[in-house]
Amino acid sequence: MPVVELAEVTKVYENKVAVDHLSLSIEAGQMFGLLGPNGAGKTSSIRMMMGITMPDSGEVKIFGKPFERQSLERVGYLPEERGLYKKMKVVEQLVFFGELHGLTATEARKRAADWAERLQIAESLDKKTEELSKGMQQKIQFIASLLHDPSLIVMDEPFSGLDPVNATLLERTLIDLKDQGKAILFSTHRMDQVEKLCDSICLVNRGAAVLAGKVREIKSRYERNRVIVEFEGNAAFLNSNEIAESNNYSGHAEIRLKPHGDAQKLLHEAAAGATIYRFELVEPSLEEIFIQTVGGKSDA
Amino acid sequence: MRNIFLIAKREYLEQIRGRAFRMTTIGLPAVFAAVIAVSYLSSLGLGSGKHLAIAATDPALASEIKDRVVSKKDQKAIVDVIAPATAADRGRLLEQVRNKTIDGLFWIESPVGALPKATYFSKSSGDFVTTRRLKTALNDGLVNERLTTGGMQQEQADALVKGISINTLQVKVDGQLVKSSAEMSLWKGYVMAFLLSMTTIIYGMNVARSIIQEKTSRIFEVMLATAKPTDMLAGKLIGVGAVGMTQIAIWLVTAIVLFASPFAAALMSGDLSISFSWAEGVLFPVYFLLGFLLYSSLFAGLAATCETEQELQMYMPLAAAPTWLSFSMILLIVNDSNSPWSVAASLFPPTAPIIMFLRMASQTPPLWQFAASIGLMMLSIWATLWFSSKLYRVGILMYGKRATLPELLRWLRYS
Repeated sequence: MPVVELAEVTKVYENKVAVDHLSLSIEAGQMFGLLGPNGAGKTSSIRMMMGITMPDSGEVKIFGKPFERQSLERVGYLPEERGLYKKMKVVEQLVFFGELHGLTATEARKRAADWAERLQIAESLDKKTEELSKGMQQKIQFIASLLHDPSLIVMDEPFSGLDPVNATLLERTLIDLKDQGKAILFSTHRMDQVEKLCDSICLVNRGAAVLAGKVREIKSRYERNRVIVEFEGNAAFLNSNEIAESNNYSGHAEIRLKPHGDAQKLLHEAAAGATIYRFELVEPSLEEIFIQTVGGKSDA
Repeated sequence: MRNIFLIAKREYLEQIRGRAFRMTTIGLPAVFAAVIAVSYLSSLGLGSGKHLAIAATDPALASEIKDRVVSKKDQKAIVDVIAPATAADRGRLLEQVRNKTIDGLFWIESPVGALPKATYFSKSSGDFVTTRRLKTALNDGLVNERLTTGGMQQEQADALVKGISINTLQVKVDGQLVKSSAEMSLWKGYVMAFLLSMTTIIYGMNVARSIIQEKTSRIFEVMLATAKPTDMLAGKLIGVGAVGMTQIAIWLVTAIVLFASPFAAALMSGDLSISFSWAEGVLFPVYFLLGFLLYSSLFAGLAATCETEQELQMYMPLAAAPTWLSFSMILLIVNDSNSPWSVAASLFPPTAPIIMFLRMASQTPPLWQFAASIGLMMLSIWATLWFSSKLYRVGILMYGKRATLPELLRWLRYS
């Protein structure tokens, strides 16, 4: 049973179609990436999952049932527009959010301390939120969305504004949570993170899904037309009829083959005049797929 | 329900711990007491200690007037009597007024067989206190002079001039007679209505400010993932309302302690008697709560449509208009608390809390009018909450630009 399921969901604001017949589903123990350029409809889709807005048509199901507020008790949500009560102490703030999610104050306090230890902000618990840096505040928001041990975690741009060290810390935490069987959905622009973390993705553009499925499967749908060659000797093979475009950095060449270009033939041509140390047929990165799919079609 | 309680508790604790709460709890009554004290003290010394000249053709009348001007109330006054005065004296004295040697000249001519004609010359046109004092002195002096020259004993004449004071007693519903003073009733009503309007508006604005701060800090979407917008609004209103009730309770307890002290004993006797009924004690928190809910639910809806506190300030005159209207009716109400205007204003929800207290200060209105005004207020609170919760639902997630009127109307149509 999918943890989240969107079936033909549409949302229209004024005259703009924000989400256009979008369908997707996320299973337990799966990390799902919602991708798309700015204004593609990612946040609008997430807000409908969270019951903040209602779809004009289509259906949102959470834990197998049509959306109901009670389901939110098992959902952890980190919105893109996120904030904290500035005058409150961090620990009081976390206890407040924990209590709103049904925890007792004592339990919430205990979990807040454990999470603070894990995310290396234990010394900030008794500080007022306004005294903390933006990155620290983001970690607190991250904890607030996880304190009640949700089965579904929805995060809108969770890594934006974080330094690499903290981004890695949060990535590891999400992987741990996935391993515990949680369903995780996050939206991002960072393709390297999607490639590293996600099992499945949905690429939306102008409100509609343009690419969806398991990352492996999607990548396999695209031709392996990039070749990396490390060599010594004659570089004449770079003028081969199989090549559409190439860059040679003194013995390190990055090559894009023509459609239906033959890599084996190119290898023979290269080996004829040069010593080959590496010849790798590289699959396209998600970033390339993203650019290729969305191209100049985004609204951003 | 649990979420409403948690949100209310958070709001309550944050505001109670804030500096603004401490400042208004101590500051507001202090400022109010200072305003009353300053206006009372300055009225005591108003128009006293002046150097006047009384010039009259009738020396007896002039001296009579002088005795009355230099009385217990104004022992510092210096009054020169020039009688019988001539036209030359008049010119000389007017010159003294012009170069400020004296503050004023009271010129009285007494033609034979007619009433005297009096003129007061001074540099200031607005010296109404001295003018009134001279007028009373002239009239009393003239009556006294005529009575005594007509053969009446001096003591009898004095008693007649002094007049007879009226003892005012208020007949309560249960037939009890209570000593009352129209002046003190006016003051009591004014103070209670003032406190009521101040607290209602201050706490209504607190709700609005708190919503704008939350909007600025982008906390709403986090909150919406756990609580319904109506729960958030209800929690906020209850939390801030409880802060207001706490403040009123502190003021009431302080007032009771002060009134129980020997200092207040003098105030509670004689002409300065003030009595507070149980009805006033119970209805004050009730009307505060209703007024607060009415105004704060309206402010909450408006605040959700604003981006900054400055934008919210634009709505302040709108919010304060019923208060101005109520206070502009104060004399009308105290003078005749049962006139159709008074009754209508005490039933009209935006003015009801203040007007009802002004009316109660002079006479307790019938029970049905309390019931009607409370009922109407509850009805209008419900309507305002419905309207505001619609604006609130949509407005809290709108960032970046101020909503236009057509947009607001569209928000109201959203579910």
